Amino acid sequence: MLEAINLKKAYGNMEALKGLDLTVNSGDVYCLLGANGAGKTTTINLFLNFIEPTGGTAKVCGIDVTEQPLETKKLLAYIPEQVMLYGNLTAMENLRYFAQLGGHDYSPDEYRGFLNRVGLQPDAIDQRIKTYSKGMRQKVGVAIALAKRAKVLLLDEPTSGLDPKASNEFSQLLLQLKADGAAILMATHDLFRAKETGTRIGIMNEGRLVQELSTDEVSHADVERIYLEHMHAGDQYSQKVA
Amino acid sequence: MIGSIARKEFSEIVRDGRFKWTAGIMVLLLLTATLAGYQKYSGYMRIQQLAQGESNTQWLKQGDKNPHSAAHYGNYAFKPAGPLAFFDTGISNYAGTAIFLEAHKQNFAIGRPATDQSSVGRFGDLSGAMILQLLMPLLIIFLGFTAFAGERESGTLRQVMSMGVTNRQLLWGKALGVGTVVLIVVVPCVLVGTFVLSMANLNIVGEGMGTRVAALSVGYLIYGGIFLFLTLAVSAWAKTARTALMVLIGFWAFAGFLAPKAASEISKAVHPSPAFGSWFSDMRSHQIRGLDGESPWITVEKYKVELFRKYNINSIAELPVYWPATRMQKLEELDHPVFDLHFGKIKSSYTEQRRIQDRLGFVAPTLPLRSISMGLAGTDLIQHIKFLEDGEAYRRYMVSEMNGYLSKAAASMNATYSSSNYMRADEKVFSIVPPFEFDPPSLSATLREHRGNFVMLIVWLAAAMGAALFAVKRMSVEKG
Repeated sequence: MLEAINLKKAYGNMEALKGLDLTVNSGDVYCLLGANGAGKTTTINLFLNFIEPTGGTAKVCGIDVTEQPLETKKLLAYIPEQVMLYGNLTAMENLRYFAQLGGHDYSPDEYRGFLNRVGLQPDAIDQRIKTYSKGMRQKVGVAIALAKRAKVLLLDEPTSGLDPKASNEFSQLLLQLKADGAAILMATHDLFRAKETGTRIGIMNEGRLVQELSTDEVSHADVERIYLEHMHAGDQYSQKVA
Repeated sequence: MIGSIARKEFSEIVRDGRFKWTAGIMVLLLLTATLAGYQKYSGYMRIQQLAQGESNTQWLKQGDKNPHSAAHYGNYAFKPAGPLAFFDTGISNYAGTAIFLEAHKQNFAIGRPATDQSSVGRFGDLSGAMILQLLMPLLIIFLGFTAFAGERESGTLRQVMSMGVTNRQLLWGKALGVGTVVLIVVVPCVLVGTFVLSMANLNIVGEGMGTRVAALSVGYLIYGGIFLFLTLAVSAWAKTARTALMVLIGFWAFAGFLAPKAASEISKAVHPSPAFGSWFSDMRSHQIRGLDGESPWITVEKYKVELFRKYNINSIAELPVYWPATRMQKLEELDHPVFDLHFGKIKSSYTEQRRIQDRLGFVAPTLPLRSISMGLAGTDLIQHIKFLEDGEAYRRYMVSEMNGYLSKAAASMNATYSSSNYMRADEKVFSIVPPFEFDPPSLSATLREHRGNFVMLIVWLAAAMGAALFAVKRMSVEKG
């Protein structure tokens, strides 16, 4: 569903992504771990075609994102760290607007259905977004993804800054989407969530995917140990270069 | 798709505090300007008609006298204003409103409203045209500068662009949304203005009022569109909304204030108007010495000889026409080419200046629009020059009718001519000359005159759209 083949991105001499090979299938929740600057967001931006790759290809459902960016965008949903919505519009109006941008239209009841499904309190639906907490905004973000009937989800640290309850609710939504057959790529710093929600984990360091794990083969402790090993190795490497 | 974008843009703007204030002020100013302008216009027209009527009566009731003396007594031509003058005052504050028409002299128009105004008057009248030319672009800029830059800063642009919408759809949608808001503010005011206009007496100077209003609407609509697309282009191009606002306000000030002033200065430098002193002395010397260097008195003597030969006579007493009147008319006619030459120089310098200003329309869209607006409102230079020409034609007609009447009616007095023995005429004779009527340039001539300006506006719109399309094509969704 989601495929990166030797995907590269350089800004001048700085190589942000050094040849990434990655596949996320339907029903997969692939968690990208790595320090800030490891290339996680760059990967997501490349799949969104917000930036042009300097090498390799990124494909969504087999379609090259640089060749048919509009087609691939129709297939995917994007939820950033902070879902950005229009403060002066209500949740309902925001959802309707984004759904229409994605080429869908539903009845008001159907929109309410999406917002109920993501657990938004019914009385909040017709309030303006500027009164919303971050957790509520993220829920609207998921509702947008639902309304878009996206086959692929690109999540960029979607739970960072959420309280544990909101974070847990968000993970439950992801699991529902996964059960519906979505392919999910999530950049995160939350090792615990990665192990809990993810089916696979990829550890990135300095633009490279250094290790892939299947979450059912490792324990929480293993994930943390392996992750830290890579980070230390990276530090030593950087020190040598320096 | 474009419809949903427009609808979202519309609700967002309308719910924003910015909109309530700017739209409120705009509506208030437009309505004030329209109503105050209409009041001023109807006041002016009442005075104009009163004064013209008074002057016509004075002409008739000037008392029994020699018809040539009656021509000296003269009459006034008062300039009527078209009903749209209340919308766009054009140059009418700086151009004269009346001409004194008398024998032997072509006079300048007098009664310039600007001379009675304080220095505050320099800022121009608060007219509907001024508000639409200066404040409507400001409204568009205020409502539109965040269209892309603001969404980029708040991060919603990333969200939007991840939905699979094309940059072009986004541009058209936003243009439609912002444009609709602007129209909702402006159109009701224009309708009020049109209603007020419909109460005016359109028979005065108002040929094709419907077409004029329609053509003005088209012009202002294109003008608004130019600023709309420029605003969206800059908003898509600028890194921050702040930069976008600064660039746009800069362009607005340039287009609205600097460019018209600069265009006027440039046109004066290229085609200077004659300096009054030398212009006047040149004209006087042509009058005294004759255009071809032959004194008018000699020309008149030759004319007399010609008449003697024509009628085969030897003395003035035998002439079948009254010689003093015939001679006076001949002298009058000798002045015509002199006036035509010298007043023509002034006229052509102003006309050339106006042409240059029109040609400079590529510098700022305000220039062609201003020209179109005052042209259709009938308050521009073309209209004023036509008034001067009509006034002069009427003066020549009046003088020649009086001299002509005298030369026939007093033909038998050639022999007994003396300063105390002359013919007297009364009101019946003076009424040979019907009251002055201004025949303003026709609507079709006005439209023809402004074809270039309309083309210029359309070119501006195309360029603004091109710039907007180019800017959104290269638009980055990332901040910084």
